Amino acid sequence: MPITKALETHIDHISILDEHGSFDEKLGKDLIPDEDLLKLYQHMVVCRKLDEIAFKLQRSGRMGTFPQNMGQEATSLGAAYMLEDTDWMVTCYRENCGLFWRGLPMEKILQHWMGDERGNQIDRKHYCTPIAVPIGTQMLHATGLAWGAKYRGESQIACTFFGDGATSEGDFHEAMNFAANLDIPVIFFCQNNQWAISVPTSIQCSAPTVAQRGMAYGVECLQCDGNDIFAVAWCMKKAIESARDHNRPIFIEAVTYRLGDHTTADDARRYRDDEEVALWQSRDPLKRMRAFLEAKGMWNDAQQTELDEHAEATVTAAVERAEGIETPSRDDIFNWTFADIPEQIAKQRDTMRTTSLGQDPSQIASEQATTKA
Amino acid sequence: MAGVTQPKDRSHFILPDLGEGLDEAELIKWRVSVGDEIKEHETLAEMETDKALVEVPSPWTGTVSELCGSAGDMIKVGAVLVRYGSGGSGSEVTDVAEVETAADAGSADEDAGTVVGSVSGELTVSDRFARKTEDDQAGEQVRGKALATPAVRRIARELGVDINLIAGSGRGGRVTASDVHGFSQNGASGASGPTSTPDSGFTPQAIAIPADLPPVDEGNVVETIPFRGVRRKIAEALDRSVKTAVHFTVVDEADVTQLDAKRKEYAKVLGAKMSMLPFVMSAICKALRSHPSLNAIVDDAKSQILRKDAVNLGCAVDTDHGLMVPVIHGANALSIGQLGQAVGELARGCKDRSIERERLAGGTFTISNVGSYGGMFATPIINYPEVAILAVGRAKEKVLAENGRMFVGTVMPLSLSCDHRVVDGAEGARFLNTVVGLLENPSELID
Repeated sequence: MPITKALETHIDHISILDEHGSFDEKLGKDLIPDEDLLKLYQHMVVCRKLDEIAFKLQRSGRMGTFPQNMGQEATSLGAAYMLEDTDWMVTCYRENCGLFWRGLPMEKILQHWMGDERGNQIDRKHYCTPIAVPIGTQMLHATGLAWGAKYRGESQIACTFFGDGATSEGDFHEAMNFAANLDIPVIFFCQNNQWAISVPTSIQCSAPTVAQRGMAYGVECLQCDGNDIFAVAWCMKKAIESARDHNRPIFIEAVTYRLGDHTTADDARRYRDDEEVALWQSRDPLKRMRAFLEAKGMWNDAQQTELDEHAEATVTAAVERAEGIETPSRDDIFNWTFADIPEQIAKQRDTMRTTSLGQDPSQIASEQATTKA
Repeated sequence: MAGVTQPKDRSHFILPDLGEGLDEAELIKWRVSVGDEIKEHETLAEMETDKALVEVPSPWTGTVSELCGSAGDMIKVGAVLVRYGSGGSGSEVTDVAEVETAADAGSADEDAGTVVGSVSGELTVSDRFARKTEDDQAGEQVRGKALATPAVRRIARELGVDINLIAGSGRGGRVTASDVHGFSQNGASGASGPTSTPDSGFTPQAIAIPADLPPVDEGNVVETIPFRGVRRKIAEALDRSVKTAVHFTVVDEADVTQLDAKRKEYAKVLGAKMSMLPFVMSAICKALRSHPSLNAIVDDAKSQILRKDAVNLGCAVDTDHGLMVPVIHGANALSIGQLGQAVGELARGCKDRSIERERLAGGTFTISNVGSYGGMFATPIINYPEVAILAVGRAKEKVLAENGRMFVGTVMPLSLSCDHRVVDGAEGARFLNTVVGLLENPSELID
């Protein structure tokens, strides 16, 4: 018997607006109306301002760890823009821009990273699940949500976001296999930002693309320039049709770059070359969008100044609201985990204030306040 | 957020945790001067943590009235970094006392929840534990590969400096960012120690590291364990004890044959297991009544010996997280049964870490029941500032002799260490004789 080809295939890479400003009229036609372009750009600028201020909040002790979204704004925003308002967005922690497009109040994000879990209690009307900090857990949740929608005969789909590192987790493979074999309407949206904290994609994925990891499960795979909001929108349009009309999951690899540190507890200068960062700064989605709008005569410096001021005011107001929220009681950690508090947990709650260094003065004060009340 | 709460009146800025779980940072460079007006989010200083070089911004708008520290200082999370004066946005100069209180509150927060117990309650660090000074380092040889964080190595690379040529002034000889800057500016002659300001408000915690440590053989290592946490606290307390108290040890044996029989009777009556320990504890309490010089503590700061009334008996307890010494307050007022109960409760409290802070402090004499693990005699280390400690070895049958006649008895080895500055050898031996006498004559011990 001669040798035959068991499989021959390829993966499309989509680029519509590149970093040099060239625009593919054919692919980009009627994809995003002009008035929406302005709104999208405004969202990206506000989100970038949040990154800048949140970073300083952490450094001055006003917030805990914070992961900046810088450089990846176009990916989650392009996806959120194309989804219906009632489609599930199942995110990790670098999708702020998309979440704000959904109407999630900025102070919720701040509250969460300030250490108040109530910030992760997201109103049902946004159809967003809580931010998943553990890597990769959310892909199974999205698969379940989409399966539920299909089971109930609803047209709702789910789109889950994760990084390149998460595709090395078992949960990713389970979710993909499940979704593919059971025809579940879920979109797997990978933000390949090149770095899993300090591990480059090349070290944890031997294949030339992350996208082809989806191929093993018989799922259609696409790769796009993640800093090109048009390319993201193009892929999402195709993915939404596939999921909603044919119950077929689809895998999108959006190639982007984390311009900032992994989180405020990281220093990326330790493991990345300045040249690499400079290259990706030239591919910044905000710069690209602004140049595009200016070339179309839709944007000028005066508008930019106004937008920068608006962004600063918006973020400052959100910080004020977030800092104005009353701090949760430390007892909550113990009180809301079980319906009936087990003896051991109650003991931990009652003894947590005692250390060899004495009682925490603020705890004594709050305890006295509680006793009086 | 490391438990640091900034003052509501914005009178001063407390250094927060700049990363995740960091407890200090090195001040590299001030970016403001006293009298400067600074806006919210503008940079106050550049600092270096174990992980990164960071810029620390001001959390509010105000006028800088004091910079607490100089370049090269290690600043503790929870310590005041900058004070703001009048002329800022509505902030007034605050009463000094009030500021101190707030700063204290901050530093008390910093370690909350990380340390479960300490050998002696007092955690203030004496000079001997302080970070090594410039003088200590004189003559220190530069050898091999320098110890430094990646952030510092980066600075050295950027300045074109060979980091291995720099004498480190940081913990364990670590090269700090200011060492690199100093070296780069002054060449090899600039490789000096830290410019420490005594009143900068930070309390160094590390044990002093001798300048002439022998070379470390790094081959054949199966595990590297960071020397910190409870282990470090234990080490610091023991180091202080050995370097302060003048130890001598006297040993003896007690024939506890009759006592052992009594113990079994007790256990039968009570219907519960009972060890020899409460009997020895009771004997100590009674013996201390006639030898009060051993029920005391030393206040070295004021050069005085404080003899104590009640016996607060510390019991060394071995736990998974290290040695702990819970204290039975007023042990002299307790019956043998009550002592047994108390020691059981304390041991459980130590093992599950539920023990209160008050029960780990205030001891006047300590007993170490090392015999429950094995061994005969020991040279116990005093739980400073106490002045004496008794180690109880394992009791076992032995051939004894009396008036030319041999017989078999149960013998308990006892080792008493005293601080010779306070207790003379004769007095120590007399105390031990009393304890042995009580253990050998249960009718005297059991009222």
